[in-house]
Amino acid sequence: MSAIRDFIAQKKHHVYRTELESDFFYSQFKGLCPEERMTRRFEYMCEHQKPVILPDEKIVFLRTIANLPDCFSPEEWDEIKKDRYIHELGYNSNLCCDFEKVINKGLIYIKAKADAYGARMIDTLLSLCDRYAEKARQEGRTDVYESLKDAPRYGAKSFREALQLFRIVHFALWMEGDYHNTCGRFDQYVWPYLKADLEKGIQTRESALELLEDFFVSFNKDSDKYVGVQQGDNGQSMMLGGVDSDGKEAFNLLSELCLEASYRVLMIDPKINLRVSKNTPDSVFILGSKLTKAGLGFPQYSNDDVVIDALCDMGYDLEDARNYTVAACWEFIIPVKGADIANINALNFPAVVEKAARSKPEFKSFDELFCAVESEINDQCLKMTEGINNVYFIPSPFQRLLLEPKYHNFGIHGTGVATAADSLAAIKELVFDKKQITLPELLKAVDENFENSPELLNKLRTKAPKMGSDDDRSDLMCSRLLQSFADSLKGKKNCLGGRFRAGTGTAMYYLWHADSMGASCDGRRKGEPFGTNFSPSIFAQTKGPFSIISSFTKQNFHDVINGGPLTLEFSQSMFGDDESITKIAMLVKAFITKGGHQLQLNAVNAETLKKAQGDPDSYRQLIVRIWGWSAYFVELDKKFQDHVIMRREYSL
Amino acid sequence: MTATVFDIKEFSIHDGPGGRVTVFFKGCPLRCVWCHNPEGLTKAPQLMTKESLCKKCFLCKKSSDSELFKLYGRDPDACPEGLITVSGREYTEDALFSKLIGYRDMLSLTKGGVTFSGGEPLLYTDFICSLSKRLRAEGIHTAVETSGYGKDFEKLCDSVDLVIMDIKLMDCELHKKYTGVSNELILKNAGRLMDSSKERLFRTPLIPGITDTVENLSGIERFLKGQPWEKLPYNELAGAKYPMLGMKYKYEKGEIQ
Repeated sequence: MSAIRDFIAQKKHHVYRTELESDFFYSQFKGLCPEERMTRRFEYMCEHQKPVILPDEKIVFLRTIANLPDCFSPEEWDEIKKDRYIHELGYNSNLCCDFEKVINKGLIYIKAKADAYGARMIDTLLSLCDRYAEKARQEGRTDVYESLKDAPRYGAKSFREALQLFRIVHFALWMEGDYHNTCGRFDQYVWPYLKADLEKGIQTRESALELLEDFFVSFNKDSDKYVGVQQGDNGQSMMLGGVDSDGKEAFNLLSELCLEASYRVLMIDPKINLRVSKNTPDSVFILGSKLTKAGLGFPQYSNDDVVIDALCDMGYDLEDARNYTVAACWEFIIPVKGADIANINALNFPAVVEKAARSKPEFKSFDELFCAVESEINDQCLKMTEGINNVYFIPSPFQRLLLEPKYHNFGIHGTGVATAADSLAAIKELVFDKKQITLPELLKAVDENFENSPELLNKLRTKAPKMGSDDDRSDLMCSRLLQSFADSLKGKKNCLGGRFRAGTGTAMYYLWHADSMGASCDGRRKGEPFGTNFSPSIFAQTKGPFSIISSFTKQNFHDVINGGPLTLEFSQSMFGDDESITKIAMLVKAFITKGGHQLQLNAVNAETLKKAQGDPDSYRQLIVRIWGWSAYFVELDKKFQDHVIMRREYSL
Repeated sequence: MTATVFDIKEFSIHDGPGGRVTVFFKGCPLRCVWCHNPEGLTKAPQLMTKESLCKKCFLCKKSSDSELFKLYGRDPDACPEGLITVSGREYTEDALFSKLIGYRDMLSLTKGGVTFSGGEPLLYTDFICSLSKRLRAEGIHTAVETSGYGKDFEKLCDSVDLVIMDIKLMDCELHKKYTGVSNELILKNAGRLMDSSKERLFRTPLIPGITDTVENLSGIERFLKGQPWEKLPYNELAGAKYPMLGMKYKYEKGEIQ
């Protein structure tokens, strides 16, 4: 492991940090327009960063003023919010800027097309680069000096300069206040530089990998200060692989080196995504599975076969669709051209089912009930879409120089779809087909959190159909729910003139939405969360990976293409040797070939296992390989659990 | 013809080439002290309870009219947590075939197949032969994992694409002591397998102090004479399922309790 990696991991660089008071900027910005405020704040931040070059560090730039106080006072914010719709923190974020252009042409070129605010920002950023260059020269770090001397102004001439320039632009975006700053298809736009350096003999595979590791570490220097719902939720996602603008396979040596660098650096940023299709060579899946073994939860896979077609149907041009990447998590966006708000709201599927089931004293048939569900989905979608008007963004004079907005779609997540599908399947089975219970009786048991009906709870939890068991009764119910969601958004225009995209992601809503309601008809008790994203219900006793994959690839994802992966968790012990890794790679490829849209595969580590001990109900799906058999971790006696944890720690 | 199966495991990765679906048949003539699948020992169905998650509501022990309660003194359907299951389900050949053929797609995509394991598949030779024939006719690769202790061994081997066979101990007395049976028939069957053209893999579980001795391993090596051979490391979690069956694991920390 490189020295700089350990230095950062041990947070030794925090000694260079200072913080500003929270009212530092807005107290001096009274009466100024938002653009002026943003520019002045950026200028102050650039001018007061202290150039720091860490020992052996190759890719420089460190935030020494660690925080970024607000441009507006709370009162000023309240005034803005009065008649405008504010998304999250108010910045136009979760986008992918044109790193390629800066790397290729330099900041002078960008400045030529900038307005006065943008030009000031570029000037101040360039003088920070100059101060870094000067510092490097003084410290005898000729290599660092060389990489900063011309590249920021005129563009990169080498692989190293390309990496350094990316770092500067990314650093600047964060410092402007933009967040969830994604990296896009890094392996595509930086590859020409590495290729040229390899041909000239300036880099070897090994030296390039070393540089790349240093570069990956740089994503983790300031990221603890980057906001999110949780630590780590910072959207520094990077997309690898996929096809080029002609539809040809574009996975290259840099893609491979990125997977390897991530495995070696073992830090949570950048977040690695991999685009694949049924025609992607097995070797790429194998490289992906090797990285999964590291336990970082990377790469996340998305399926070009499904996503590109679906985006085209959504109104994206083919060339743009072929160039898709992901926003912070898994929402599909187009680099530079996408100005979508991919996570503007979420539909709570289980709540919809609940409300529909209670909307009438009696339903004559299941179809009648399903009509009520559809109309409730429609109502909810209408409420959400009509509720978003007059969106306000804090202006970002620097970021907007690196965007050419063409798409302005809004994405709406779909939470707990498995819980909802299982609930409907249970109602159909028990109430309408087998007539074992009436709907009011079932709803009464739900109201009582099943306290007085243990046998019903047993039946619902262990015998009723569940997604993840390759059971059409639930799986096709899910298809109907997703289709209804998509149909309810079809044809609706948002306030920016774009469309609404339905999705299968949940973000943090799988906890929030579950907390907002009681028990549900699938046997979920009050307080139990939904599955994350497009996954089986937390307590469902699924039959295994084959059945889960079959269950979650039956749906038509064409109209629900906002993103949201199936999540599979395997014990790291399943990734033992090359043969096992190849088998897991084939499983991923099977998911893709069967038409799944997105997959998150995790190798679970000791930390998770410990959490599972304290909260077994939330980790029912966690599989550990014992020897000749696999077990659900939480079902083992404690002493065996302890042993697995010990073994995990030893193997790490 | 029926067979009792205690588990069907998806995507097992150590039971033959590619991603496997492994069928665990119930019942075994051996009593290896280190056995990690205790529910595979007897043919008769048994209750398995995940005691570690039990919230002690005792609803399962309230007298009930159900057939299962009469049989086992506990009613699995009464457990609100669903922690009690009956291990061992009887399958007709048709029922098991149609269940397995449902995996055709995933098996072909993961370049795998079906593995018959146990317990001891040799207790169900006719059933497996007929089932395997039907699966192979559908293009599905089949394998068997066996102790080699039973008649009709060659018939069973002939019915599958790959035979995975255990050679545990070379010494006959030790074999009797630790597995309950003599190894005479096993070694004879192993010899037949070696002489055949069947694709095969021999395996030795490395049980500390029992099978992992230099003497035993070199004996097996000499016996196998370069045959494909794999040694499986012992895992101390092997006893994990005993408490679920109310049984005691006899082999603990290298000692027979």
